[in-house]
Amino acid sequence: MLYRIKHITHYEYDKPVALCYNHAHLMPRDTDYQHCLESHISIAPYPVSVHQSSDYFGNKISFFSVENKHSSLEIVVDSMVRLNGERIDPGIDLDFGNTCTQAREKMHSLQDETTLLAREFVLNSPMVKTSDALKDYAAPSFRSNVSLLSAARDLTRRIYTDFTYDPESTTVATPLYQVLEQRRGVCQDFAHLAIGCLRAQGFPARYVSGYLETLPPPGQKKQVGSDASHAWFSVYSPGEGWFEFDPTNDNVPAEQHITTAWGRDYSDVTPLSGVIFEGGDSQVLSVSVDVQRLQE
Amino acid sequence: MKDILLQTAWSPPRQLSQSQHQVQSTRDADFAYEQSPDFIDEVYDTSGEQRSHWQYLLSSMASLGGDAVADRQRKALRILRDDGATYNLSAQPQARRTWGLDPVPLLIDSEEWSGIESGLIERSELLDLVLKDIYGPRDLIRHGVLPPELVFSHAGFLRQCQGIKMSSGQQLILHSVDMVRNVQGQMCVVADRTQAPSGAGYALENRTVMSRVLPSLFRDSHVHRLSMFFQTLRLKLAALCPNNDDIPHVVVLTPGAYSETYFEHALLANYLGYPLVQGSDLTVRGGFVWMKSLDGLKRVDVILRRVDDYYCDAVELRSDSQLGVPGLLNVVRSGRAVVANPLGSGVLENPALLKYLPAIGKFFLGREPQMDSVGTYWCGEDNDRQYVFDHFDDLIIKPVFRRSDEHSIFGAQLNSEEKTALMARINAKPMSFVAQDYIQPSNAPCWSKDGLLARPLVLRSFAVANPSAYTVMPGGLTRVGSKGNKIITSSQPQSTSKDTWVLASEPEKQTSLHRDAGAVISESADQGMHLPSRVAENLFWMGRYAERAEASLRLLRTVFMQLNSVEPLSPIARNTLLNTVTRVSTTYPGFTRTDINNAEAIEKELLEVILDENRAGSVVSNLQAMLTSSEEVKEMLSGDTQRVLNDLRDALAELGNALRLGLASAPEEALDPLVTTLLALAGLNHESMMRGMGWRFLEMGRTLEKSYQMTSLLQSSLVVELDESDQAMVLESVLLSFEMLVSYRRRYRSRVEVKSGLQLLMVDQTNPRSLQFQLAALKEHLQGLPQVDRAIGLPPEGRCTLEALTAVQLADLTQLVACEEGTYLRAQLEQLLNRVQELLETTATLISDKYFDHQTAHQQLVTDRWEDD
Repeated sequence: MLYRIKHITHYEYDKPVALCYNHAHLMPRDTDYQHCLESHISIAPYPVSVHQSSDYFGNKISFFSVENKHSSLEIVVDSMVRLNGERIDPGIDLDFGNTCTQAREKMHSLQDETTLLAREFVLNSPMVKTSDALKDYAAPSFRSNVSLLSAARDLTRRIYTDFTYDPESTTVATPLYQVLEQRRGVCQDFAHLAIGCLRAQGFPARYVSGYLETLPPPGQKKQVGSDASHAWFSVYSPGEGWFEFDPTNDNVPAEQHITTAWGRDYSDVTPLSGVIFEGGDSQVLSVSVDVQRLQE
Repeated sequence: MKDILLQTAWSPPRQLSQSQHQVQSTRDADFAYEQSPDFIDEVYDTSGEQRSHWQYLLSSMASLGGDAVADRQRKALRILRDDGATYNLSAQPQARRTWGLDPVPLLIDSEEWSGIESGLIERSELLDLVLKDIYGPRDLIRHGVLPPELVFSHAGFLRQCQGIKMSSGQQLILHSVDMVRNVQGQMCVVADRTQAPSGAGYALENRTVMSRVLPSLFRDSHVHRLSMFFQTLRLKLAALCPNNDDIPHVVVLTPGAYSETYFEHALLANYLGYPLVQGSDLTVRGGFVWMKSLDGLKRVDVILRRVDDYYCDAVELRSDSQLGVPGLLNVVRSGRAVVANPLGSGVLENPALLKYLPAIGKFFLGREPQMDSVGTYWCGEDNDRQYVFDHFDDLIIKPVFRRSDEHSIFGAQLNSEEKTALMARINAKPMSFVAQDYIQPSNAPCWSKDGLLARPLVLRSFAVANPSAYTVMPGGLTRVGSKGNKIITSSQPQSTSKDTWVLASEPEKQTSLHRDAGAVISESADQGMHLPSRVAENLFWMGRYAERAEASLRLLRTVFMQLNSVEPLSPIARNTLLNTVTRVSTTYPGFTRTDINNAEAIEKELLEVILDENRAGSVVSNLQAMLTSSEEVKEMLSGDTQRVLNDLRDALAELGNALRLGLASAPEEALDPLVTTLLALAGLNHESMMRGMGWRFLEMGRTLEKSYQMTSLLQSSLVVELDESDQAMVLESVLLSFEMLVSYRRRYRSRVEVKSGLQLLMVDQTNPRSLQFQLAALKEHLQGLPQVDRAIGLPPEGRCTLEALTAVQLADLTQLVACEEGTYLRAQLEQLLNRVQELLETTATLISDKYFDHQTAHQQLVTDRWEDD
C-alpha cells in the first residue's frame, strides 16, 4: 500500500510574532512494516534554519526558527509512505500468547533488552498518570487467565462503546481523570485512557500518532483535506513484542493506519510546539490533512 | 533550581539563627581541645593521641591567644561582608546572609589526601562513563546493571538530550562530592553534585580570607594552593569551544541576583574573567547563541551554567522557564555551542545510583571503585523498601530528585504517626525515595567564645575535567554543624564553614590564575567590551535611583531645618517648600493636596515620603531599587563600593529606628548618614571605576537624573513669584539643600535674589550641580557610546541633549526672572524648564530603546502545562 500524505498547519496571528522557535513531529518514521520513501517540510515565512534529527524514541523531528516579524506561519509536510502488509491480520484471533498473569510476571523476570527497555512504558509520563480509577475501569478486561492481547482488544472495544467521540469536550490539556469522568473525548484522549489503563494494570503501553485513511461514502468523491491526524496505542507483551489497537475506531491498525511517531504520550510526539516572542495573543490554527492512496 | 548547599547528610538548616555571625569574644580562651568520646575526631587518632599534622596549627593558635583569634575572626567576617559574600536563603535580596567562616581550618595531611584524590578522580571518570551511557547506548540498562526504572523514572533524565555529545573527551566537566569520615576513619561519599556544583567559589573566598587574616600561619603551614583547579577549569572551558575561531567566548549563566549562590556566580565570573549573564542576556539566532551586548550581538561558544538543566530551554525543556535561553538545546545538539555541565547531567545526582556504583565499576572498569559510598537503599526495589521500613531509625530518607520543597528526613526524629505518614508517601511513589545509612560525621575543632569546641563536619570537594582525566581541588569547602550531639537536628541551625587545608610536605611553588596563564588570559581580553545590555541598564538605573534618593534626602533635610527654625515660616513659603518635596520626590499627590495643613498631617506625610517603601518615589523605595540594581551588577562593583553599599544597607535599616519618635528633635540628623554614604558611593564610582561602558551608563543615569531633579526643583520653587521675603526664604532653602548658601553669600554678598540664584543653579559652568554643567556632562557621555555609524551625524538622543544644553546656554536670565504682564508667573522660565524636562525624558527613552533589551517574555505556541507535578 503506497500513500501520499499532505499535512498543512497554518497559524494566523492577531499581532505579529517577532521570533519563534519550533520543533515538529510531522514526518513519518520507519517501522518494521512501514517505510517512508520521502518526506519534505516547507515553512513559510522562510525559516532561518531547519534541522532534522532523530529523537529519543527514534522519531523524526524537525527544528526550525523564524527570526523576523511574521503574522502567519505555515508548515506543509508532504510524505510518501509504503506499508508492506506485514503488520498484522486485522481479523486475527488474539487469544494466544502470554496470559495477563504470565505477562506481569515476565515483565519482572525477563532480562532481554527489549523487555528491560519496555519497562519505561509502565511508568507514569507527563500526560498519563495511573490511578485507582483507571485500574478499576480496566480490571474487567484483564482477568488473569485471559491472554494479554485479547484483554487489550477487549479494553479497546469497551472504550469505543463506553465513550463518546466529541471534539468539543476536551482540549490538548484536558487531564485524563476528567476524560474518564465525562466519558467523552477524541482519539488522543482515548489513546491516553487505554495507556493509563494498561499501565495501571502493570503493562507497558505507548502512544502512537499518525494518520488514518478515511474512505468517502460509497459513490461520493473523497474531499481533499478531510482526513485528520490520528492517535492510537500499542501494548508490549514480554517476549512477543508490541501490538497496536485503535480505541477510537474499535479496530486493529493494519493497512489504513500510517504511523508518524511514538512516545510515552502525546507530549513526546506533539506535532508542532515551540515558543514565540511578542504578539500571537489570539492565534487561529487551522490544520488540513490529506491521505491519498496511490497504489494498492 | 536550588542547590541546597547547606543541606547535606547531617544537615538540617533551612534557616540559620540570627546570632550566627555575632563574633564571640573571649578573654582567657582555653585552647585545650577535647574530643567528644562518641565521635571520631579529626585531631585525635583512635588511641587518643593528637595527630602530628594538627600540632603546629593548634600550638600556633594557642600562642596567638584567645583575644587575637577573636580579633582575626572579626576581621574575617568583615572581609566577607565587604566582599558581599552571601548565601541567600530567601528570594529577598535584602535578606541575604553573610557567609560564615570559622578561623580554624580543617587539616588533611598530604598522604591521606593523595588517597582521597585518586578515589575522587576515579569516581568522576566513572560518573562520566555513566553519563555517556545514559544518553547513549544505555548498556547499563540493557545488561541489567541498573534497574530501568531507576533511570526512566528520574526527573533529571532528560530524553531531549539523547545522543548529544561534546566532540571529544569527558562529558562531565565539573563534579563535586560531599564526604564524611565514617567510624572506620575512612572518608565516605554521601552525595554527588553533577548539575552545576556550587561551593568552589565559596572555597576560594574562604581561602582568600584565611590567607589574609592568618597570613603567617597560612604561609608556614605549606598549604596546597587552589589556583590550579581554576586554571584547569579555564583551560577546559576554552578547549570545549566548538566553533573554529581564534577566541572562544565563554560566559557564566546565572539564574540572577535572587539565586541563593549568586555571590559565587559573580565571584567565579570575575575570577575566571568571563561575563556573567542571565538567560535573557542571551538569544539564539541563525543557529548560534549570542549575547545581547551594547554594541550588538556577540557570539557565545561555551556556557558555564549555574542554572539547572531543566530550566535552560523553554522550547524543549520546561516551557514556562524564563531563566534559560529558548532554542539553546538545539544549538547544543547541532554542535555550535557547548554547555558545561551538559544539559541532562542532573540524572547523575540521583542518590540511588550510589547503591549501584560497585556494580557499575565492575561493568565499566572491571573493579569496584576505591572510594566507598554511604550505604544506600532505593525504595523502588521491594527488598530495599522493606529494609527501609524496618530500619527507619538508622536512616536518612531523601527524594531521588532534589527540589527546594523536599528535604532529607531523619528517620530517628519521626514519631510513629510521622513514620506511618512517610511510609504512605513512599508506598505511593516508591521510586522517588532513597534511604541512606546515617553516618556519624567526624568532629573537628571550631572556634567559639568558650574556646575550641568539637563540631561535626562535611567536606565538599571538586573535580574538573582536564585533557586526560580530572583535576581535584586540593581541599574544598568544609561545612560545620552546630552541636556535638549524636544527631544533629534542624532545631540547631547554626552552621558555618571552614577553609580546608591540604598540607604539603614542602612549600609549593606559587601559581596564580592571573600570573602565569598569559596565553589563556588573552583570550578574554576583549570580553570587557561586550557588556551585556542588562548590566548597562542596571548601572544606568543604579545611577538614577541614587540621585533621586539623594535629591529627596537633601531637600527633606533642609525642609526639616526650616520647619523647626527659630523664625517661623510664612504659610506661603512653607507650602512652596512642601510642594517642592512632593514634586522632586514625585510622591504625588502629597502636599499638592489641600487637606494637609496642620503640623500633624505634615509630619505624617513627610515621614511617609521617607519611610514608606510601598510608595513610589519615597527615599526608602528609591534606595531599595538602587540596591536591587546594584545586586544585578555585583560583578562590576569594586570591593570598596561593596563596602559602601553595605553601609547604605545598615543606614537604611537604622532609618526607621532613628525616626521612630517622629520629627520632634533634629530629624535632619537621621538623614545625614544616608547622604554621606550616597556621596561616598558617587565618589567611589568616580574615583575607582574603569572608564568603560559600564561607567558611562552609570554616569549617564546620574547626570540625567541630576539635570531632571534640578529642573523640578526650579520649577516648583522659582516659577511662581512670591513676595520678597518668602522668595528669599524659598531660594535660601534650595541653596541650603545643595550646601551652596555659603558660596552664594561669598560671591554675591547680598540677600539672595532670584536672578543670581538662577545664575548659580542653572548656568554656572563652575558649579558641578548646575543644570548646564550636568547637561554638558550628559552630552559628553552620549558621545562616548558605541555608535553604529558616525557618518550619519548626531543620533537622536544626542540631538535632544544638545538642544537642552543650548537652550540653557542661550537663556537670558533677565527675561527668565521677569513675570508675564499682570501675573505672578515667570512664563519664560517655566517654558524653558518644561522644554528641558521634555527633552530629558525623550533622551532617557531613546537611550533605553537603543541600548537596552526589550524582549518580552516568551509564550508557548500551544499552551500546555503537563510538566507540573
